[in-house]
Amino acid sequence: MTDHALSPSRPLRLPSVPGVAISLVGLVLLFAFSSPGFLSTGNLSNILVQSVILLLIALPMTLIIMTEGLDLSMGAVLTLASLVLALIIVSTQSLILGLLGALAVGLAFGFVNGSLVAVLGIPPFVATLGTLGAAQGLALIVSDGQSVVGIPRFVRQAYSGTVAGIPTPILIGIGFYALFHVLLYYTRFGTYIRALGGNRDALTLAGVRWRPILIAVYMLGGSMAGVAALLMTARMNAGHPTAAIGMEFDAIAAVALGGTSFEKGNGWIFGTLLGVLTVGVLRNGLNLMAIPSSVQVACIGALVIFALFIDGMRSHKS
Amino acid sequence: MRAVMDTTALIEPAPPPAPDRAPLLELRGISKNFPGVKALDDVSFGVWPGEVHMLLGENGAGKSSLMKVLCGAYQADAGDYFHNGEKIEIRSPADARRFGIAVIFQEFSLVPYLDVAQNIFLGREFASAIPGIMDRRRLYREAQAVLDLIGLDVDPRTKVHSLGVAQQQMVEIGKALSQDARILVMDEPTAALSDRETERLFEVMRQLQAKGVAIVYISHRMAEVFALGDRITVLRDGKLVGSALPGETSPDELVRMMVGRNVDMSYPRRFSTAPGELVLDVRNVCAANGIRDISLTVRSGEIVGLCGLVGSGRTEVARAIFGADEVTAGEVHLFGKSHSGGPAATTRAGVGLIPESRKSEGLALIRTVSDNLAVAGLPKLFPNMMFSRGKARRSAEELIKRLRIATPSPNQNVALLSGGNQQKVVIGKWLAAGTRLFIFDEPTRGIDVGAKSEIFALIDQLVAEGAAVLMISSEQAEIVHVCDRAYVMRGKRIVGELSRAELSEENIVRMGMHDD
Amino acid sequence: MSIASNASAGAPRIHLSQDMQQIIYRLLAAGLLCLALSLATDAFLTSNNILNVLRQASLLFFLASGLTLVILTGGLDLSVGANIGLSACLAATVIKATGSPILGTLTGLATGCVIGICNGLMVAKLRIPSFIATYGMLWVLHGITYYYMAGETIHGFPPGFRQIGSGHFLGIPIPVYLMVGFLVAGTVFAQRTVWGQQIYAIGANPVAARLTGIPIDRRLILVYAFSGAMAGVASIVFLARLNSAEGDIGEALTLPAIAAVLIGGASLFGGVGSVFGTFIGALILTLVLNGMNLLSVNANWQPLVTGVIVIFAVWLDMYGRRKA
Repeated sequence: MTDHALSPSRPLRLPSVPGVAISLVGLVLLFAFSSPGFLSTGNLSNILVQSVILLLIALPMTLIIMTEGLDLSMGAVLTLASLVLALIIVSTQSLILGLLGALAVGLAFGFVNGSLVAVLGIPPFVATLGTLGAAQGLALIVSDGQSVVGIPRFVRQAYSGTVAGIPTPILIGIGFYALFHVLLYYTRFGTYIRALGGNRDALTLAGVRWRPILIAVYMLGGSMAGVAALLMTARMNAGHPTAAIGMEFDAIAAVALGGTSFEKGNGWIFGTLLGVLTVGVLRNGLNLMAIPSSVQVACIGALVIFALFIDGMRSHKS
Repeated sequence: MRAVMDTTALIEPAPPPAPDRAPLLELRGISKNFPGVKALDDVSFGVWPGEVHMLLGENGAGKSSLMKVLCGAYQADAGDYFHNGEKIEIRSPADARRFGIAVIFQEFSLVPYLDVAQNIFLGREFASAIPGIMDRRRLYREAQAVLDLIGLDVDPRTKVHSLGVAQQQMVEIGKALSQDARILVMDEPTAALSDRETERLFEVMRQLQAKGVAIVYISHRMAEVFALGDRITVLRDGKLVGSALPGETSPDELVRMMVGRNVDMSYPRRFSTAPGELVLDVRNVCAANGIRDISLTVRSGEIVGLCGLVGSGRTEVARAIFGADEVTAGEVHLFGKSHSGGPAATTRAGVGLIPESRKSEGLALIRTVSDNLAVAGLPKLFPNMMFSRGKARRSAEELIKRLRIATPSPNQNVALLSGGNQQKVVIGKWLAAGTRLFIFDEPTRGIDVGAKSEIFALIDQLVAEGAAVLMISSEQAEIVHVCDRAYVMRGKRIVGELSRAELSEENIVRMGMHDD
Repeated sequence: MSIASNASAGAPRIHLSQDMQQIIYRLLAAGLLCLALSLATDAFLTSNNILNVLRQASLLFFLASGLTLVILTGGLDLSVGANIGLSACLAATVIKATGSPILGTLTGLATGCVIGICNGLMVAKLRIPSFIATYGMLWVLHGITYYYMAGETIHGFPPGFRQIGSGHFLGIPIPVYLMVGFLVAGTVFAQRTVWGQQIYAIGANPVAARLTGIPIDRRLILVYAFSGAMAGVASIVFLARLNSAEGDIGEALTLPAIAAVLIGGASLFGGVGSVFGTFIGALILTLVLNGMNLLSVNANWQPLVTGVIVIFAVWLDMYGRRKA
């Protein structure tokens, strides 16, 4: 509304403060000085490998948040999917059937989440809080509160194998990042995701049926939880009924750190990648300093609140 | 046929349609009901190729409902559509698009974080050779062509949120034009545009007319109605009142059709010769919302106008005085005392704001008339902080009687009242709070003509009782008729002050619109 | 809002306001539930079980009554469960260290209140959406509590303190008296004070409330502080009842508390709801969970059922709005 805004100006290509890049570099420097082992190739590769599971759910979380949505059920769905995957693999010895089972769980929850949000119009944070309870309950029911063990050795390969010297998880991570990048910037689907968050009426008036698209976004999130369940199970060599509880928080943290806003469809998928790495570096570095996981969670919580504060300041200014 | 021929017209206007030719699009007997409201009642209406059909009516007359029915956003409960004489169905916006109907909405239908090109072609992205992937090069090429057509000089890769209001409106227009529309529907497209942009828009409209495009144009500006219209249709209360050709009617007649009776344009006002003590004294105020070096005064018993174009900073001045936006420099004195603080402090000092958008900023629509009337006066009505429902209702009943608010009961949901009565509730809540300086922002927006006179009578009564009023209005006639003095704004500054003797629509326009 | 006689002289018919109708529907639902349960199992209609239901409902109600005010302003507090955890653990430590239940209780209440104030500051001053700010707070508290407790349990409190959770007076559990006390206090605060009215106004339209001169920031901080303090109350009663404190105490209570508020008729969009409605909501939810227990349904089903109830309650609210 100001005179300044009326004058034609070239757009900024990047968010005005790529704070996530600064914090990533800052953390790397901090840990490089504080922990001698931090900069070793082995540890750096370790950070990347350990970040992949988070990346797999942070990518769809970015798209969900860009629709002015949220998926609090993702950690619980990931847990449930990994239990189902483990149970199927243990009983059938088939990786494919197990993966299909995990994907089915994810897609089903995604469909329910998406329908609650898109069709019934229930605010996403409550709808997915409800399905979080449901997924957590189901995880307890299918596992009866016990870990699922006896996973065959070949499953472990999915996590610990290498291709051309590069760990498989890193390749999987790169592949999915590329997929989401293309999805967001080069397809109609990506365009409509921004419109879903920015102005739903515009889509309706353009003759686009947005409800199926919104449901699809949540189903994409669910299916990625299924994919992540495979890596998770392979990494732990077991299915555990509380394995990924709260992982959605790390994902939301990574997205928020990455500069994606909770309003108006303003998102940045590369920022999410940087956000995931920041969370990964933070957790790894704190681990090396022998700081317990509980404190790491508190640190990430504080970081998110800080990131949101910055986000709020930025949108307040404009 | 035109009452005002525009000498800058590059192309001869299309000839008036032959009565025997089938209209490009015709609606017959369209009705649309909402719970408790007949939004459209048996409306029939047609547009011919190459004509500009002006649609007139007060707010709530059914214009927007008709537009939404036209573009498929609403489905009519009854009635038929004909396209070139053939019966068609319009059930969704996609259907409407297929028949070449494009609508430019007043509320922008743009997506802030998509760029100009993506917005223009939203829902019509071009496919590339690779399945599922968009052809981005073609997108920007075609978008550039559209921008060239409407004469908008921005990069098609600019994100829309960084554009100004006028530019966004132009993008909206470009979006509609790019659809190769045969029928273009515009809802007050010039409301946010500068003169130059308006001129450019009219030029594009004339080109489209020459190509045989039919245009339905909703406007409140009489000058536009007569300058552009080939045919004028007036709606009132969801019903079609009549159609006329511009050469055969007059503004007075149109107003009569819109209102259903002769309206006395002079609002009642008893001017007092001796204004009272200084109530509001604003000295060189700058604020975070962009206003610069604002100085003005209001005395008790005085109505002071604040006018200028939309976007000139009037609302921002009101918000800065009220403390809703941060004051960064200068001083505000209220009732002789230096004042600073947010809306809570300003309210305590005896100031009330009647905001422009009543529904989103003035009222709690899910609550009752009584609740809304009490909300500002709570600390005054209940000094011991204990609330009593009975006392609140008695206070509400008094105000309902005094302001003649038409409501079946104080417990009626305020959302169910008419616009005029809702506005009275907003005024009433300040009366309950003992307010002595009222800031009105567009007090008659969206209110029917009868209620307008009542609102002005009320304002007059307030100042007669010693209150002070600062009034923002886009209706220059209102300012001229009602105000003791007026300040004129342009570009976030006050550019002049007009005394009662100098106040005329001509002077306001000359001061406020001067293009530099 | 309350029973209101029609103002027009011609129709002296008493009509019930919408809120009253909502409450009557919910009372009916609770009654039907009781009827069904007493038919389904003999174990339900025993005085022991009824008192048990009331005691369980009281724990839920403490948490949910504070949350009600937050939801009335259109916000949400997801940190209440984690708040119980930290408040209970700190209170337990103080009781153990000083041997004074009073100091311990004050510590629990103060901890809850301070956490609530932090939430309120984030929402009011930093303008972070409440569900995300309190969600971040949840994990911060979770981390602090787990770090502080390091897997340990603190147990064995003085008998006087344990009376708060498990004692009886005239045959009725002490927590039930506390529940009635907070029900009356909460209702008076929400319905009969200027601040309560302002809280409703903020939830109904925050922009209009601000432009009407209501000091929104202060009211929001008050509401979140109250919600935190009620979590503190819940933590003390919980501690006294369990006679031990662990890091995960209260963690599973957030979802049921939200469910109780929503079943009670409060709208997530703000401005609609009442403390009394939440009281009935807490009763209904407890009856459901108690019934499942009596009918020997595996406790693992509880989060699932609660989750479905939350969604159903929100849907009911939205459906009602669409119709109106």
